[in-house]
Amino acid sequence: MSQLLNSLLTEQRRGNLTLAVLSQLRTPQYGYSLVKRLEDSGITIEQSTLYPLLRRLEKKDLVTSSWDTSESRPRKYYVLSDYGEGVFQILKEEWKKATNELFRLLEEENNEMD
Amino acid sequence: MRWIDVYLQEVERRLPEKNREDILLEIRSTIEDMLPENPTEEEVKDTLQELGDPVKLAHGYSERPMHLIGPRYYDTYISLIKMILPIAITISLITLIAENIMGSVDEGNLIMMILAIVGEGVWRVISVGVQVFFWITIIFALLERVDLGIDGEDLRSQRKKWVPEDLKKVAHVPKKRAISQWEVYGAFLWTAIWGTVYFHADHLLGIYENQGEGLTFITPALNQDVLISYWAGVVLVIGLEIALALYKLLKKEWTKGVVWFNTIQELLSIGIFVWIITNERLFQPAFIGYIADLFGVNAAQVESGLAWRIAAIFIIFAVWNIMDGWIKYKRGVRKTKLKHEFE
Repeated sequence: MSQLLNSLLTEQRRGNLTLAVLSQLRTPQYGYSLVKRLEDSGITIEQSTLYPLLRRLEKKDLVTSSWDTSESRPRKYYVLSDYGEGVFQILKEEWKKATNELFRLLEEENNEMD
Repeated sequence: MRWIDVYLQEVERRLPEKNREDILLEIRSTIEDMLPENPTEEEVKDTLQELGDPVKLAHGYSERPMHLIGPRYYDTYISLIKMILPIAITISLITLIAENIMGSVDEGNLIMMILAIVGEGVWRVISVGVQVFFWITIIFALLERVDLGIDGEDLRSQRKKWVPEDLKKVAHVPKKRAISQWEVYGAFLWTAIWGTVYFHADHLLGIYENQGEGLTFITPALNQDVLISYWAGVVLVIGLEIALALYKLLKKEWTKGVVWFNTIQELLSIGIFVWIITNERLFQPAFIGYIADLFGVNAAQVESGLAWRIAAIFIIFAVWNIMDGWIKYKRGVRKTKLKHEFE
């Protein structure tokens, strides 16, 4: 039961995480700052998930990265590309639509139970 | 700091060569970000704990699949192994028998010989099995990796979007017209068997007699040199048979194309076989003599009659196969309403 629940939850979270990460990259972020921002919003993401995800997003040209070596420790900054910005807006609209519909559906379910 | 170095080393070993440096640098800077100034050993350990298993972290970066053969090819892989394995084993066993039946054996040695053949047989079946498994696995593992570029669904373009019209291209397969996988498999197996026997005929086909000293191979029936001289034609027939079987596997039903291919293949094969069988030198004189003695007729009568009798049997089978194909095709057409709606 718990194992099944885990895999279902992972599945459910996967798409949301991408959207969450993209939403935070409208300003340049380095890995750890990203983790903290997400955590502050109540979204936990394992680092072993986050970094490979960033790399995949970069490979698909949704984000660009650059090393900042001006401070004592070098940091790799990620930021949305123009293309990534466009994709993010579409994803956001889709997500809003889907959650609204799903919300209605789940509400109906509640009402029927009453 | 030793904790961090060992941790990074564990990650590094598993990273793709290409961007190893970059990834390591990023992880190191993250770890440092997570740590306070002058951290204690406990704090370092906590941070690494938070970062999680280095193996898992590294695997996240891997661009190769972690499996040898993925879900996309698994079905095809298994069904191909199931098909090829028994065929390969059959060929190797026929070859083994051909290599071992020679001359006569006396009683005492017969048991030894059988034991030797069985032992050798078991060994060959195992090694052929391993070979088939190995090579098919290699091919599919390569396929899996070469194809990797097409992973995300994002690459599927809008143009390829499915429309109901696509159903026209997919034939609705009525039962009576369907070609089962068993039929295809049988075709492969039959080709493998007769092909192997053909090229080992001097060891396999002939007169065996029990002369009280175990079974004795008296004389081969056919002249192997003559058989070999037709090799190009035979290879052509084998090629056509395999191509037809693959075509059937692909189409899964008796379409017009399959029926025509079948017809042409049968006609061509029968032509080549009649041509071979009517060669005057095909039968060994010793064999002709033996048959003549057996039926109390003279050698010339046997020679003229035998070839055409065998040819007649072949021709009857070929005609039967051709008709069978056409009947299945016609029967299917009549019963398929959905197809008519489309046409």
